This record gives sequence, C-alpha cells and structure tokens, in this order.
Amino acid sequence: MPIRVLDPQVISRIAAGEVVERPASVVKELVENSLDAGATQVSVEVRGEGGVNQLRVIDNGSGIPSDEVELAFARYTTSKIASLDDLGSLLSLGFRGEALFSIAAVAEVDIVTCTADEVIGSYLSLKGGEVINRGSQGRSPGTTVTVSHLFRRVPARLKFLKSPTTENSHIANVVSRYALAFPEVRFRLSIDGRETLRTPGSGRLLDTMAKVYGLELAQNMLEIKSQGGKGGVLPMVTGMIGSPVINRSNRDYISLLVNRRWVGNRRLVWAVEQAYHGLLGVGKHPVAVVNVSLSPQEVDVNIHPTKAEVKFRDEGAVFSLVQRAVRNTLVELTPVPEISKLATTYRIAEPGRGISTATYLSPSLPLAQTPAASLPVLRIIGQFRSSYIIAEGPDGLYLIDQHAAHERIRFEQIKEQRLHRQVEVQGLLEPVTIEASPQQKERLRTRLDNLAEFGFVIEPFGEKTFLVRTVPALLAARDWRAMLRELLDSAEGKEDWEERIMMLIACHSAIRAGQLLSDSEMDELVRQLEQVAIPNTCPHGRPTIIRFGLGQLNREFGRT
Amino acid sequence: MKLICLQENLNRGLNVVGKAVATRTTLPITNNVLLVAEQSRLKLAATNLEMAISCWIGAKVEEEGAITVPARLLTEFINSLPSDNIAVSLSPHTKTLELKCARFEARISGIDAQDFPPIPKVEPVLATKVEVKALQQGITRVVFAAATEESRPVLTGIEADFNGDELTLAAADGFRLAVHKLSLITPVSQPGKVIIPARTLMELNRLIADGEETVDITIDPQKSQVLFHLKSFELVSQLVQGTFPNYTQLIPQSHTTRAVVDVATFLRATKTASIFARDGSGIVRLMLTPGKELTPGKMTVSARAEEVGDDVGEIDAAIDGDEVKIAFNGRYLIDVLGVIPQGQVALELINSSSPGVIRPVGGDNYIHIVMPMFVQW
Repeated sequence: MPIRVLDPQVISRIAAGEVVERPASVVKELVENSLDAGATQVSVEVRGEGGVNQLRVIDNGSGIPSDEVELAFARYTTSKIASLDDLGSLLSLGFRGEALFSIAAVAEVDIVTCTADEVIGSYLSLKGGEVINRGSQGRSPGTTVTVSHLFRRVPARLKFLKSPTTENSHIANVVSRYALAFPEVRFRLSIDGRETLRTPGSGRLLDTMAKVYGLELAQNMLEIKSQGGKGGVLPMVTGMIGSPVINRSNRDYISLLVNRRWVGNRRLVWAVEQAYHGLLGVGKHPVAVVNVSLSPQEVDVNIHPTKAEVKFRDEGAVFSLVQRAVRNTLVELTPVPEISKLATTYRIAEPGRGISTATYLSPSLPLAQTPAASLPVLRIIGQFRSSYIIAEGPDGLYLIDQHAAHERIRFEQIKEQRLHRQVEVQGLLEPVTIEASPQQKERLRTRLDNLAEFGFVIEPFGEKTFLVRTVPALLAARDWRAMLRELLDSAEGKEDWEERIMMLIACHSAIRAGQLLSDSEMDELVRQLEQVAIPNTCPHGRPTIIRFGLGQLNREFGRT
Repeated sequence: MKLICLQENLNRGLNVVGKAVATRTTLPITNNVLLVAEQSRLKLAATNLEMAISCWIGAKVEEEGAITVPARLLTEFINSLPSDNIAVSLSPHTKTLELKCARFEARISGIDAQDFPPIPKVEPVLATKVEVKALQQGITRVVFAAATEESRPVLTGIEADFNGDELTLAAADGFRLAVHKLSLITPVSQPGKVIIPARTLMELNRLIADGEETVDITIDPQKSQVLFHLKSFELVSQLVQGTFPNYTQLIPQSHTTRAVVDVATFLRATKTASIFARDGSGIVRLMLTPGKELTPGKMTVSARAEEVGDDVGEIDAAIDGDEVKIAFNGRYLIDVLGVIPQGQVALELINSSSPGVIRPVGGDNYIHIVMPMFVQW
C-alpha cells in the first residue's frame, strides 16, 4: 500500500483518542473549560450507559461570544493562551485548544452559550465534527454543552468501555477531584437523574470534603500547616490531611493538586505516604487533599494530552516540601483517637471543651485538633487484662495499650541515645555464637557497623557463625537472640535498617501485654509517654491511646 | 478416713505445700491438695508436676484413707478457723470431706486420691547431707544471678557440683556469674553435676523454718530428679536438662587494680546513684583512684540522667594498682553487694571493658563476676 496523506476526518478521530478516552474524559475537559471560564456553579448530568448516551455540563461562566462559537470547535483554537510565552506562565487548566474539537469528532455536541454582554445567546449543533444547525437561543450568562451518542461512530472505542457502573464511578471521581480542588465552586453531579454529589461552594475545603467523603471522615481532617508561603510566597503547600485514625486500604484517597490541577504523580503520593510513616499500619494509606502552589515557571504541564502528568523543575524540592508540610502537621496536630459511633446525631470532637452536638454541616465545622505534644493530665484508674491502662482525663476516659505505649517510649529513647551517640551497651560475660543462614549471613555481614552503633558488637567467626560480644543494655534481660533472628529474617524493605533495628529493639525491650503493672509503674509509663514527640502511635503505627469522650459515655447511658 | 488434728498444725502444713500447688494448669487435679491419713499422722502433698512438696503433721487417726480437695478453698477455710481441734472425716461414697472445728462445720467435695499424680520417689544415686545455714547462704548468694528470661533454659537453673565433701553452686545469666562453695556433712561417694531450677531453690529457701538443722539431698541424675528432705517437709523437683557452661575459664586469673571497700558504704553509694540512673539502663560509673603518699585512695560512684541531673558519691578505699574507670548496671552491683552481709569487699579490675570481680575479703568461698557496660566517659 502506498504512503498517503490521511483524510482529515481520520486524523481528527485518531487525535481525539488521545484526549477523549472515555466519558469521564469528556467530563474532565468540559469541567475544566467551565472552571477556566470562571464559573461559580458547575452542574454535570449523566444519562444512560455510563454517560455514553448523554453528558451535559452546565455552568455560569463567562460564556462564548456568538461570533466565536463556531471557531471554538475548530482544532487548536483557544482563548486561554495567545503566544508561546504564555505557556510558561500558565494559570488556566486548559490551553491546548483540542478539547471541543476532539469531543465533536467522536460525538454529537449541542452548545448553548451566552456572555454577560449579549442579550441573546447562541446555539450550535454538531455531528461528526460538522455543524448541522446553528441559531440563537435565550440563556442566562454561561454555557451548556450537551454531548450525546459518544463514540457511536467509533465502535472500537465503544467496545473498550467498562460497565456503566464503572464509567459512572470514573465520572464521579473526576467531578469529586475538581470539587476538592475548587471548594469555592458549587458542583452538582447527577447520574441518571439521581443527585450523587452537591458541594456547598463555600470556599472551605473541609465543607467540600464532608460532602465528598462523608462527615465522619471530614471530622478527622487536619489542616496542613503550610510551609513557607508567607505572604503568598511560592511554593506553598495547602490542603487537608486525615489524622492517622482514618486510613484506607488503597491510595485513591490521596488527591494531589499542583496549582489546583489534579495530577497523578507517584513521587508526590509517596511523599505524602512517607510523612505518615510509623503512624499508619502496614498496607494502610492516608486520606489527603494536598495542593502545591508553584510559580508556573516551576512546573511543566505540557507533557501529556490530558495533563495527568506534570514535570517539576526541581522535583526533589517539591517532594521534601510536601513531605515536611504533611509530617509537621501530623506531629503537631494528631489528636488522640476517639471511639465514637456516628449514629443519628453528628458529633464533632472538640477536645478540651467537651463535645458539642453540632448540626449537620454547621457553618463552621470545627477541626479535630489537640496539640498532641501534650497529652492531657491523666489519672491512672487501673489496668485491664494486664494489657491496657485505664486512665481518667479532663475530657473523658482513656485506654492505653501498655506495650504499644512503652514501645513508642523506647523507640524515642533509642533514637535519642543514637543521636547523641550514647547508646547504652552491656558486655556479655562470654561471647555468644549465633548461626546464620546464607542470606542472613550476607545481610549481617554488610550491617555489622549499623548493629554496632546500636550496641550489638558482632564479629564474623568462621563460615556461617558470628560472635556476639555486647548487646544493647535495654535488651540485657530480654531475649535478644530472638530479636536478632527477627531482624535477620525480615526482608530488606523500604524502611532503612537503622529504623528497623530501632523498632525491633523497642519492641523487644518494651513491657509485654499480659504483664501486671503496679500503680507507680503505670504512672511512670504515662509520664514518659507524655514526654515523647509522637505519643499517639507506636513505631509500627498502631494507636497507643484511645479516648472515650465524656459526652459519648453520657449519651450511651442515656444521660443527655 | 477419720482423724483429729490441731488447727495450727494443719494451717502451717497447708501453707508449706501450698507453694507447690499449680496455678495455671491444664490438669485440674493439680489445683488440689492431697490428704493421706497414715498411722498417727496426716500427710499433705501438692505438685505442679515440676516441683512437689509433701509435709506431715501430727494427728489422731481413727481410720486411714486419702482424698484430694481444692487447695485454695481448704487453706483459706482452715486459716480462718479458731485455734482448736479439727475433726476431719471423709464420706467415701460422695467423696465429701467433712470438717468440724468449734462450732464451724464445712463440707468440701473432693476428687479421688488415686487420680493424683504420684509424687516421685528419688533413687539415692547421689546422697549427701548439708547444714541448713550453709545451704541457705549459698542459695542466697547465687540465685539472683540466674537468668529469668528463658531463651537458654540451662541458665535459669543453678549448677550444683558435688565433689567429695564440697558442693559448688553457680549461676550465670550471660552478664554475670556467681559461684559459692560450701562443705558437705557427709561426702558424696562419686562426683556429680546437676542443674536445679532457680525457682525450686528459692522456694526451698523460703520454706525452711527455724529449728531445721540439716538437709538430706538425694539426686537421681538419670531420672533427672532431686529430693530435699527436712524434718518438717520434703521437696522433690525436676532438674534442668542440659550442660551448664564451663564457667571456670570466665574467671579472670589476674587484675591490674584492686580496691577494698566497706560493703555497706559501697552499697549505699550504689543505691543512691541508681536513683539517677533509673531512666536509662541503670548505668552506675565507678572511678578508682589510688592514694598518694599521704592521701588515701578513693572510689567515686556516680550516675547521670540526661537533662535531669547527676550524682557523685565518694568512698574511701584501699586501692592497689592503676587508676581505672568502669561502668556497671547498678542493679547488678546492688544484687551482689546485698548478699555480702558485712565487712570488706574486694573489687578487682583490669580495664573498663573487662569483667569485674567482686569477692568478700577474708573468705574465699564466694566469687562474683560482672560484665561492664560500655559508655562514653
């Protein structure tokens, strides 16, 4: 077959494939247009087969002047940039001038739009990229775009769509993300006539989160203490992150925004997760909405047709900025987790001031926050099952997991000792030999220096035998052999060795569950817990302390 | 079974055997105490399968017989009775023990004595006799050095080495070693080494009442059992299986510095320092400074807690050799100094990383070795 120039229709449909992949992509492009048009209300309606039959996006944005409407559907036409230089200082979501063109290439599109200056709006109808009808129609300022029979003429694409439920959930996902990115815009999403999302558009991210993720989750959100950003200096990190008591088993709840554009950057997701290191259990992921504001020169969004990927000029700096901001917020604000069943009334934890029964979405939904650095003054009541310490605080009843709490204390002690190079080491009367399997041997051989820094002076002694000469003093009366075995058996994970060693020493030297404690021992434990930097979780991320609010107890006993 | 005995005697007997009653067990009958009416005496026995204690009290037996009843119930009931005669009788069909004392009457349901685990008979493969006082001192001086953590079971026991007319007791937990020698009243016919659980010896020490003079020790190494026979009771225990580490090579043969100090003063200084060492691992630092021509030698005992404070105690000491600094776990020092009753104690050191040796001055039957801690000075 000879080489030939492709028919423009074929070209447009191939190109459309890059932008319009599924109904959700259409929604994304149209919502971005609405937002770029300065809309304060955006309504998305989805009808039939996961949006294939009809998608409609209605906004109250600036609208398109009637003489430009037709041009808007031509390829590479946009009002958002004028020259190449504008690309470098881009603030709008879109700029490629491909969206409407691509959508029109694979669907039937009707548009009704009106600007504030016009008396009457204009109407345009396209089928297969060709204008088939045009006219005037009354409308308040804004734009309504209706996309019908998506992919009808591209059966290949149609075949690859998932079930209507899946496509609907993708659409909901897209709308939720923009709702979270633009809390000042009122979003409404209805799928097959059912309203599935309506955000207040109050400008408060927390209100939007309450709508998107539910009130229970919103109550446990912490506002990021922004790093830098003083007086609007960029870069700046803002947003809300979940306190460690809430966690999800996948990463879908981490929303990352760069200049309010949703991006799927693995490194930044990892930065957020890293910040939760030691606060969440294994296989658990946080909930977070993090927006990084950068000057447009610092970031290149023009590397992917749907702009899902971005490139940073200095990715490392952005990474550490995000990580630091999230971590600092967590360390400062993590509250003691509270046991509460959100029943009929919605309770909002307001530690220190008792519990108020706020009505659903009160104008100022208070944040859950207690400066974690200071646990309340606790009076020990007793011990339960030789495993939990029961204590009374000013605002409720506290349960403390004695092993987890002591583990945290030990961990901080060891860290401190290590920092000052004052690890306490106990000599062994007679060196003890340990046998290592081939893999263990390699691990051990390369980590002897690490181990020595924590008090294990170990020397190779023959083929697969090692001599232990000293052990950490904290482990002297414990089964340190078991600890070494565990260390050598654990696969080399992502966390570094030093941390693993510290965690294991902490775990093995801490008092166990099932150990009876005297009153003075419990006092001492709680006193020490109050002094550590992160008292609320053990190094593995399990909680050390749980609060039963007085209000909740009162309610359970029918006293309110 | 029918008998009359005194409340005081029965109460004392039950308290003795009560030490061997099982607490957490899968064999419920071991929660019981065995009562056997023999000629003119009542035998009480309890076992937790590791250790068994039997004890005899005087009684007027009218009819022989045996039964087991819940130990705690019986002990608490007898303990609350007035000091008077107790009439004990068993109705064989219902297995109910009837007790009458003054105007109190009680009935306790029992389990057949035949179901009670047999108290082992120990074959006298190795038999000897030792003075109670000497044995008690020996146990006290070594038992604290045994390991409490069970990863190496042999270290939870105390090695008893019988040789001629000498018994050597030794305990070690990997960080310290205590060795005590005492003489036997009757020499053993052949040498033998066994490991006795430290727990057994602690109980034995606690149970020995005033008025006891000698203990008969019988050991059957094959069946791994030891029997301590005293006037008022008998204790049988399983031995720990395994080989105790050869500790003689761990005892340093020489030293470069030797300090002689008063035990009580050293102990007080160590306890004081330990208060400051409490937050960490109890590090107590010793500095030995030899005297010059006119100034006497001194030992400083100090501890410091990061960001809290520190403490320094000074003790006069006769010091031979070089100046040396060494750190120990304060608890280890307190343990050993606490069992050396009075007088002077010698501390022999080589350097800050070699084991320290502590022995009472004027007695060569006890030696204690303790490994230092490595610290930044």
